Amino acid sequence: MRPISRAALRSYVCPSCRHGIGAGRRRFGTKTDQTPDIYDVVCVGGGPAGLGLLAALRASPVTSKLKVALIESQDLNKARAWNMDSAQFSNRVSSLTPSSKEFLQKIGAWEHLDTQRVQDYQEMQVWDGESGSRISFDWSMDTPAFEDMRTVATMTENANLVRGLLGRIAASGDENLKLFSNTTVAGIENGTDLQTEGPDLSAWPVLSIKPTGAMAETQPSSRIAARLLVGADGINSPVRSFADITTHGWDYNRHGIVATLSLADPITPPFPAYIRTAYQRFLPALGGPIALLPLPNNNATLVWSTTPENAAHLKSLPTPAFLAMVNAAFRLSMTDLSYMMGMTQSSSEPTSHEDELSWRIQHTPLPAQIPPMATGVQTGTVASFPLRFRHAAQYISPRVALVGDAAHVIHPLAGQGLNLGLADVAALSRTIEYAVSHGMDIGDLLTLERYSSERYLPNAKIGGACDLLHKMYNIPGQGPVTWARSLGLDVIDKLPFVKSFLMKNAEGY
Amino acid sequence: MTSIRPTLRALHAASTATRPACRHYLPQRSPITRNHSTSSVSADELSHFSALASSWWDPMGPSRILHLMNPLRHEFIASCLADSPPPTTTNSSNAANLHYMDIGCGGGIFAESLARTIPLDPSAPAPTATRAASMTAIDPSTMLIQVAREHARMDPTVDAHLRSGKFKYLNTTLEDVLASTTPSPSPSSKASESTPSTGAISHPQFDMVTLFEVIEHIDPTTTTPQAFLSNCLRALKPGGWLIGSTISRTFPSFLLNQVIAEAPWPIGVVPRGTHEWSKFVNPPELHAWAQEGLMRAADSAATRGGPSALEGMKWKCMGTIYVPGLGWKMVPGSESWGNYFWAVKKGV
Repeated sequence: MRPISRAALRSYVCPSCRHGIGAGRRRFGTKTDQTPDIYDVVCVGGGPAGLGLLAALRASPVTSKLKVALIESQDLNKARAWNMDSAQFSNRVSSLTPSSKEFLQKIGAWEHLDTQRVQDYQEMQVWDGESGSRISFDWSMDTPAFEDMRTVATMTENANLVRGLLGRIAASGDENLKLFSNTTVAGIENGTDLQTEGPDLSAWPVLSIKPTGAMAETQPSSRIAARLLVGADGINSPVRSFADITTHGWDYNRHGIVATLSLADPITPPFPAYIRTAYQRFLPALGGPIALLPLPNNNATLVWSTTPENAAHLKSLPTPAFLAMVNAAFRLSMTDLSYMMGMTQSSSEPTSHEDELSWRIQHTPLPAQIPPMATGVQTGTVASFPLRFRHAAQYISPRVALVGDAAHVIHPLAGQGLNLGLADVAALSRTIEYAVSHGMDIGDLLTLERYSSERYLPNAKIGGACDLLHKMYNIPGQGPVTWARSLGLDVIDKLPFVKSFLMKNAEGY
Repeated sequence: MTSIRPTLRALHAASTATRPACRHYLPQRSPITRNHSTSSVSADELSHFSALASSWWDPMGPSRILHLMNPLRHEFIASCLADSPPPTTTNSSNAANLHYMDIGCGGGIFAESLARTIPLDPSAPAPTATRAASMTAIDPSTMLIQVAREHARMDPTVDAHLRSGKFKYLNTTLEDVLASTTPSPSPSSKASESTPSTGAISHPQFDMVTLFEVIEHIDPTTTTPQAFLSNCLRALKPGGWLIGSTISRTFPSFLLNQVIAEAPWPIGVVPRGTHEWSKFVNPPELHAWAQEGLMRAADSAATRGGPSALEGMKWKCMGTIYVPGLGWKMVPGSESWGNYFWAVKKGV
């Protein structure tokens, strides 16, 4: 916990003791003469979590009067004006669980999303590339006949979500709201006791903020004090460093490759026709799963977790070879796939990967659940990012709360990262609402502990489950672990109530 | 499931934790009390609670269980106001126009939280169902009032209310407050039951008077809970609510507070000897005292208040239970198990 000169925890020090404490402190520093602007909530970071918190606070009649500010180093106007051709899709896509979608609907943000660009899916096929054991997730066991199948999750581009949240915030008016776009946090420190002129802010975080880019020279930095400082500022959270909260975790030594693909028409059309399917195949020999998640109009987004070497190799391949590798990864055996991953692209044989795939596929028995062939890559969408696990030791400290990636970063194999962040935000906004309606100080530890106790264990559970899956599915060959995990998958697939329980957990209910 | 008496449990733990240096600083004689002419608070209790000062606002300290109970106080007040709001000049049902007094505010846990809900703009609608327009908090302990004031300064909103006078901490007793508002000063400032202060009803100031975890700390040698309640009701405008909380004196509460809560570690959570079970108050006793108190509060020099003082009176009671891991829960019908909230509405 950060040092607070007059501790927020033990605010009373008897006069004789206080004399000694106060003596060493500078009373008239250069900065004390400038009284900071006081805000109720200051959120650092304008990603989906930070904007989600702001939108939730603005949407609730109880918290809509709070004076709130958001600080984002990128240009929010660009995010607000984001536009893309309806046939094109961004490669930064997330899968929203029904409870995340419900939250967005509740705060009135969903209607600000371009729903032409989001895609529900009702079925998920997951199988083990080593043993072929398979599990399929859908709500058929909970869906009565003649009713539409419930959605497993909804795919949406992050840019669409961010734009929608900004739209929702703009619709709430600009009273008591300040969006500091293109602005960085130059420093955070404890405030000072204004003695006779004002309140004692010595346990309040005071941020020095500075505009970035061209305006940096002309505009001086300004100071704002936060009753509650929310760190939605990502994995290297400055707010977390200020609060002196440690974080532990590890790097997976894996990269996730993303790309927007277009698919061939499925060989057998889905029934009922609206049903869309997500596919994930674990590839123990290559270091992680490959997943294909549906986007509108027979497009799909690819997430392939693999070693950094494989990732670099795949990114260097020309488009046809890259597509051949993706299609091979959903179809071929581990041995064939490892061989193809080792093939180098030579200019004398430009179609070597495709030829290799079409030859080997003839000799491979194909399961029923494979996705349609990927036929095209949207230009410029192949990218990769490192996979990491992090969990902050605490989510709260006096007048500080962490949400989203600042609090936890998990393996993306279950597509839960953004959903955990939105669940944090939902819980924190509920906590703030409760505090405001009960006269509590929203920055007080007694208030914030409600948020932290609601979220810490669920996040640790999901993060741990993803970590365990990652480790179990990184053991290649036909050893006992492969046998055990395959048996587990087969058993769960045949026990509807266990599957239903797992799905409800993953869904966030 | 156990119901714990928060204040005394807290007190015991803190009195042992007070640092010698702090103790040393206290004046030798009459350490924390002002020399009030009268007081309904015993010197023993006063010194015990002052010992709590250093940790009063520590969220993990001995007062933690009291902090956890605080939101329920707001909910109980809101439920009383929803049942029957006091008559006010403005007819709007969400105007912030209720004047509160918190008796025995201690370090200000409740008083500060209520002051935070006072809107900075008086014409603005009340942000919460408690509809506070002002708060006057009194406590006989100089040290606790000082703790309360210092803590209130750490919140700019509350600090602004302190500066504007909408929120006041007074180091005084209820008896002195009543004496100072009585227009014709009575010859004896003693406002106890033996000498009903003349004309005290002519200047009641408050729409809401709160008395959380206080009634069981009344000094039996100088006054009675009954006389103290009468004085609280004197401070109340007609149609106002007197709201408090205490612990009942029954077999289940004996079992929970004395036997289970004070059992040796690891079962017990309260040091042995913390509770003074005999000072606890049962809801029917409180109800009867309140009725008697309303009549006494209606007394004037010339006439004595009769049953007519009870017209329009309302009585409300709600049990509350502390569940480890879950916190405080309101459980209707659990009044006799331990902690409970109670409320009396003075007839219009």
